[in-house]
Amino acid sequence: MPAGSERAVVELRGVSKEYMRDKIRVPVLSNTNLDIPHGDFVAVMGPSGSGKSTLLNLAAGLDRPTTGTVTVAGTELNQLSESKLTRWRSQHLGFIFQLYNLMPVLTAFENVELPLLLTSLSRRQRAEHVETALRIVGLQERMDHFPRQLSGGQEQRVAIARALVNDPVLLLADEPTGNLDAAAAQEIMDLLQQLNEEFEKTIVMVTHDPRAARRARRMLHLEKGTFVETELDALEAAG
Amino acid sequence: MIPLKYNIRSLRTRWVSSLMTIIGTALVVWAVVLTFGLADGLDHTLEVSGEPLDLIVMRKGATAETNSIINESTAREMAALDGIASDAAGNKLCSPELVVVVNTARRAGDTNANMILRGVTPAAKEVRSNFHIVAGRENKPGVREAIASTQMANRFKGAGLDEELDVFGAPFKIVGLFEAGHSATESEVWTDLEVLGQTTKREGVRSAIQLRANSADDAQRMADRISSDEQFGLSALSEPVYFAEQAKSSRGIKAIGVFIAVILSIGAVFAVANTMYAAVASRAREIGTLRALGFNRRTILISFLLESLALCLAGGLLGCLAALPLNGMSTGTANWVTFSELAFTFRFGPTVQILAVSLVVVVGVIGGLFPALRATRMKIVDALREV
Ligand SMILES: Nc1ncnc2c1ncn2[C@@H]1O[C@H](COP(=O)(O)OP(=O)(O)OP(=O)(O)O)[C@@H](O)[C@H]1O
Ligand SMILES: [Mg+2]
Repeated sequence: MPAGSERAVVELRGVSKEYMRDKIRVPVLSNTNLDIPHGDFVAVMGPSGSGKSTLLNLAAGLDRPTTGTVTVAGTELNQLSESKLTRWRSQHLGFIFQLYNLMPVLTAFENVELPLLLTSLSRRQRAEHVETALRIVGLQERMDHFPRQLSGGQEQRVAIARALVNDPVLLLADEPTGNLDAAAAQEIMDLLQQLNEEFEKTIVMVTHDPRAARRARRMLHLEKGTFVETELDALEAAG
Repeated sequence: MIPLKYNIRSLRTRWVSSLMTIIGTALVVWAVVLTFGLADGLDHTLEVSGEPLDLIVMRKGATAETNSIINESTAREMAALDGIASDAAGNKLCSPELVVVVNTARRAGDTNANMILRGVTPAAKEVRSNFHIVAGRENKPGVREAIASTQMANRFKGAGLDEELDVFGAPFKIVGLFEAGHSATESEVWTDLEVLGQTTKREGVRSAIQLRANSADDAQRMADRISSDEQFGLSALSEPVYFAEQAKSSRGIKAIGVFIAVILSIGAVFAVANTMYAAVASRAREIGTLRALGFNRRTILISFLLESLALCLAGGLLGCLAALPLNGMSTGTANWVTFSELAFTFRFGPTVQILAVSLVVVVGVIGGLFPALRATRMKIVDALREV
């Protein structure tokens, strides 16, 4: 294993983030430190507006912190130019969104293939990877279906296949079950848990759903821009 | 690369606005192809009319055969010049001709137009390449018979085969139809030189003399000789020069074409931009997702530019298809030098094709550029928050 693997997959040091709204500075995260080791599965909870999505966006290199450093898989993201960062994302990250964010005009297969179009893989190799990813999420039979022909849970599984297909070190999920009913949410959590345990994917998941959070190894509570680590037991005791 | 099917299918999803834009672009391309196709056809007609070895001899100061007069004896001296080519039978290729403009009723509508009636000797067809009878026979000398080009036969009353053409009260029987390689000759009716002179009371009058030289050198030498001789009072022009002068007739059509092209293209650019802005706005979350997945700004830019181009290409194709049935269709315009009808055919040739393609590309790129730039400038986090 490379030297970087001993370090945390995600490492936030003194990170703060402010937004400007009508010339007023809105602090969202202040002096945040965070370490997420390889193989971890972290659920991030917290009230609306507490900065959960902001945190995820910073870890994903979709946004830059006002101060502090974000290091993911050994790469300090601040050091990368915008185009390098874009390229880096395609090689190291997998995204799972609340609204699935599939391209409505592309089939399940074509959606999952998207990240592979940024690689040098041949058409044939791409097809193999896509089929493998769709098999993992259990949708290999539906690969020619368009998103509108799938249920919400199935759409999210296609999105997970898309997040997996380039074999990323880190999966980032922002409320992956936020739009699903209980049964579909359970299936998605089964899948994420399997990815973490079987495929050793490091996962950071933002959620409002305590039942989803309970499936993670660890839970972080974000309150007004700072972390409070909560024991799962404590959560259970709270109901 | 973002696959092109993503763009094509997205256009199909928004088919109403896509179709409107395609039809709009098609109209622009159609109008431009039409006007420039006409101008091109006209230019082509005048271009093929001029043969480098041929000289047109007219009275000094005359700008066209219709306002040139040469007397018979001067005309005969021309035939004796050195350097004139001969046909297989040894006849000099020197063709004295009398041009008369006859106001004649058109077949279409109730209007009249000036038709050129040319009195010729057998040498006339020898100095015109591609001249051939396609129906009937040649006219006999000494009688009121005439032959008409197929284009004139179609355009003028009395110019059809076996019909009678009225020339200042005298009937001329059309005994044959001819073609002449789409040249200006196809805008004429021919009859016997002497008969036309008698009928129009211009016996012994010639309008112009056409000569074919042995070589380019001979052509030059003869032209100098004729133009410099004070006694002749004539000037000799090479045919390409003479017809280039007449090509000014196409300038009006071209000016209209340019005007239409510019005005309509501006409209099309706005229509395309409008459609593409709407496309970009409604797909903000898709754009944000693509960027998150690792597609860079340039790829997004190219993708939306291609989408806009696809839209315009579809329009261009439709416009060209709509113009295609007009290919080879003949029409006429007033020749501003001879003031008579000049028949020519619409030409969907390489010039017009290149023009149509460039127009489509320019409209597609300009119309698509700003919406595509907007797509690339979106902040990923903001785009992802769009619903
Ligand atoms: N691009 C932005 N510009 C300005 N303010 C922003 C921006 N993004 C987020 N914010 C603000 O930052 C704060 C934190 O937002 P964030 O989306 O991280 O919250 P969250 O914890 O994910 O909330 P939720 O649970 O509702 O998704 C909010 O007050 C939000 O309005
Ligand atoms: Mg959020």
